[in-house]
Amino acid sequence: MKIGIIGASGFIGTRLIEHFQLRGGPAIAAIVRRPSSLALPKRFAIETHLADALDIDAMARAFSGCTAIIHTAIGDPGQIERMPAALCLAASDAGVRRLIYLSSASVHGQNPPPGTDESSTLSVDHAMEYNSAKVRAEHKFFAECERHGLVGFALRPGVVYGPRSRWIADLATDLIDGRAWLYDGGRGICNGIYIDNLVAAIVACLHAPDEAAGAYLVGDNETITWEQFYRAAALQLDVPWTSIHQVTRLPSFHRSWKDRAGRAAAHPFVQRLLPLVPYKLKRSAKAVLAAASPSPRNDSWSLPSAPRPRITQEMALLQQCAWKFPHTRAEQQLDYRPPVTFLEGIDRSFAWWRFAQGDVSFAA
Amino acid sequence: MSPSSPRRIILVGCGAVARQFYVPALRVLQNAGLARLVAIVDPSVNARETVARTFPRAGQAASLEQTTAPTGTLVVVASPPGFHAAQTIAAFERGWHVLCEKPMASSAAEAAGMVAAAKRHERLLAVGLYKRFFPASRYIRSLCRDWLLGPLVSFSIREGGPFRWPAGPSFFDRSQTPGGVLLDIGVHVLDLLGWWLGPPSDIKYADDAMGGLETNAFLRLGYGPGVEGNIHLSRDWGTAQRYRFVFERGTVTWKVNDANGLTVELAGAPAAVQGTLVAPHQDLPLLAEPRALETNAQCFVLQLVNVIAAIDGQEELLVPGEQGQESLRLIEHCYANRTLIEQPWLTSEEAAHAQELSAGIPALS
Repeated sequence: MKIGIIGASGFIGTRLIEHFQLRGGPAIAAIVRRPSSLALPKRFAIETHLADALDIDAMARAFSGCTAIIHTAIGDPGQIERMPAALCLAASDAGVRRLIYLSSASVHGQNPPPGTDESSTLSVDHAMEYNSAKVRAEHKFFAECERHGLVGFALRPGVVYGPRSRWIADLATDLIDGRAWLYDGGRGICNGIYIDNLVAAIVACLHAPDEAAGAYLVGDNETITWEQFYRAAALQLDVPWTSIHQVTRLPSFHRSWKDRAGRAAAHPFVQRLLPLVPYKLKRSAKAVLAAASPSPRNDSWSLPSAPRPRITQEMALLQQCAWKFPHTRAEQQLDYRPPVTFLEGIDRSFAWWRFAQGDVSFAA
Repeated sequence: MSPSSPRRIILVGCGAVARQFYVPALRVLQNAGLARLVAIVDPSVNARETVARTFPRAGQAASLEQTTAPTGTLVVVASPPGFHAAQTIAAFERGWHVLCEKPMASSAAEAAGMVAAAKRHERLLAVGLYKRFFPASRYIRSLCRDWLLGPLVSFSIREGGPFRWPAGPSFFDRSQTPGGVLLDIGVHVLDLLGWWLGPPSDIKYADDAMGGLETNAFLRLGYGPGVEGNIHLSRDWGTAQRYRFVFERGTVTWKVNDANGLTVELAGAPAAVQGTLVAPHQDLPLLAEPRALETNAQCFVLQLVNVIAAIDGQEELLVPGEQGQESLRLIEHCYANRTLIEQPWLTSEEAAHAQELSAGIPALS
């Protein structure tokens, strides 16, 4: 048995390789876009391939001998939408039947209505372009699986935290810099999943019967609020709770004409045309966009200011979430049982973070 | 060859380091009349053509053996490390001098063979450890050696981040590049430390290779009683990119690759000073604006200028092969005595298996 991993240098791909290599799992074909991305996979003596996730021929060659493919690659919205068709065609060409595609709970939006589960209708008009792209990508994935007779699983994790996760690294930076914040006392629900629990769900998909193919929400067992998430992180970093900004009003996030231009550029049709546009013209267009939204001028006549909260649209939506996504379907169909508790996951995540800061102990 | 005629240069290897560093540097030297690229050597036609776009008059060859040039030509060896020793020795046998890109060789034994061949053929062997040319490096060296802020107490070095170097797959092929981040970034770090402090008296080393090449390397170096330094090199995650040297009367912080920038905190002073190194004011006319010292790119050019001047007998070589091999010896010592660093997010079962995989890694040979 050999498993192909697309996006093998990302944080999910990296942990998957560790899991399979360090637990006597199946052989791996680690697939990355460029040679520099081999750094992490090549900690192990494993088979590696260079293939862009949109290059059908290169992927089909990389899939040779694989029994299943796990797709964890990321990209911009345009790439996200085009990847599933390339994946399915390459798998079909290479004779691989089982595909596990990393979708996202954000197909339901960051702040879904209570009662949302896998049977809920998916909108393609989310406030965030990433969400809509993931919805279209998932639809495409299942349509192409059906067309090519493939067994497709799409996993929808929420906030995936763990070693090398941006949720941990960014939160640590914000907490240390005094820019972390909570809305409404942090009462919103954090639909988190520790990376090893996601790996457990992926492994469950590898072993599930063909009839179980479909989309699955996956998460940690516990229902955790953002306050609990931040408290656990602040404790790990020894950051005083009082340094976290308590926010009662969130800024509005209007879609600017610049966002709209970016959204239009991400459309598959425009993406196909872009290579035909001269480089100088593209560069000029980018320069015009940049010049049209200059940074605000600093006023030297001001009091020295304390760090301000760094509020992003994604986090603003996430912190308003009032619904814990169920993973009942994954339990029933995949026998999914998250092996790691929230507190253990946080412990391991920040143990990695300290490692990444160079805080290590040498063997005696 | 008359002293004023440009030095003939052969460039061996047209990969990322050649494209990003040697091509612009050689173009500067060629425009200044100091050097002339006469041949481009690489087995890949495409790679040669990329360089030839800048140097259309240079000849092209798939291997060094197919190249002709008079005695005294300088060969820049910028191929994968696995080829350095053979190509360098072949160049000496043709009467050519060599500037060999770092790491100097795949092993200390190969490096020693290169140094011996240089002596035997009475040729010059320089190593591409150009960070010694940084004004900041020279400043830290004087602090370490002349105790301008008192004796050194400790130091920490954090360097590296997600690997984005436009390398080819040979970078991760043990037969061509036998080490990971320690052999790549570490060779510069250990060369600078050797230049500043001399050889360490105590070395502890651990990394995260589990059957392959390390992406995180950790060293603890002792320099006599009481002076200890910690080093973390990474291709995995963004580090602070900072060298921090604590002396008895102050602390100096250097941002990686900021060739002419430093931060100095005098002990007891209420603030630190961060700025660009400039020529000493006492050397300037009263009304002259202070001149910033050399930038990173200028230092790379100066390295080549130094080699050419050394061939002409006008300057001492700043990084001769004898010194260049020292950092490689240290790296070899580290690999031979390596332990697996604890990766605390692994389960106990995974950690045990990681130890088994780690134990099977061959040392440099």
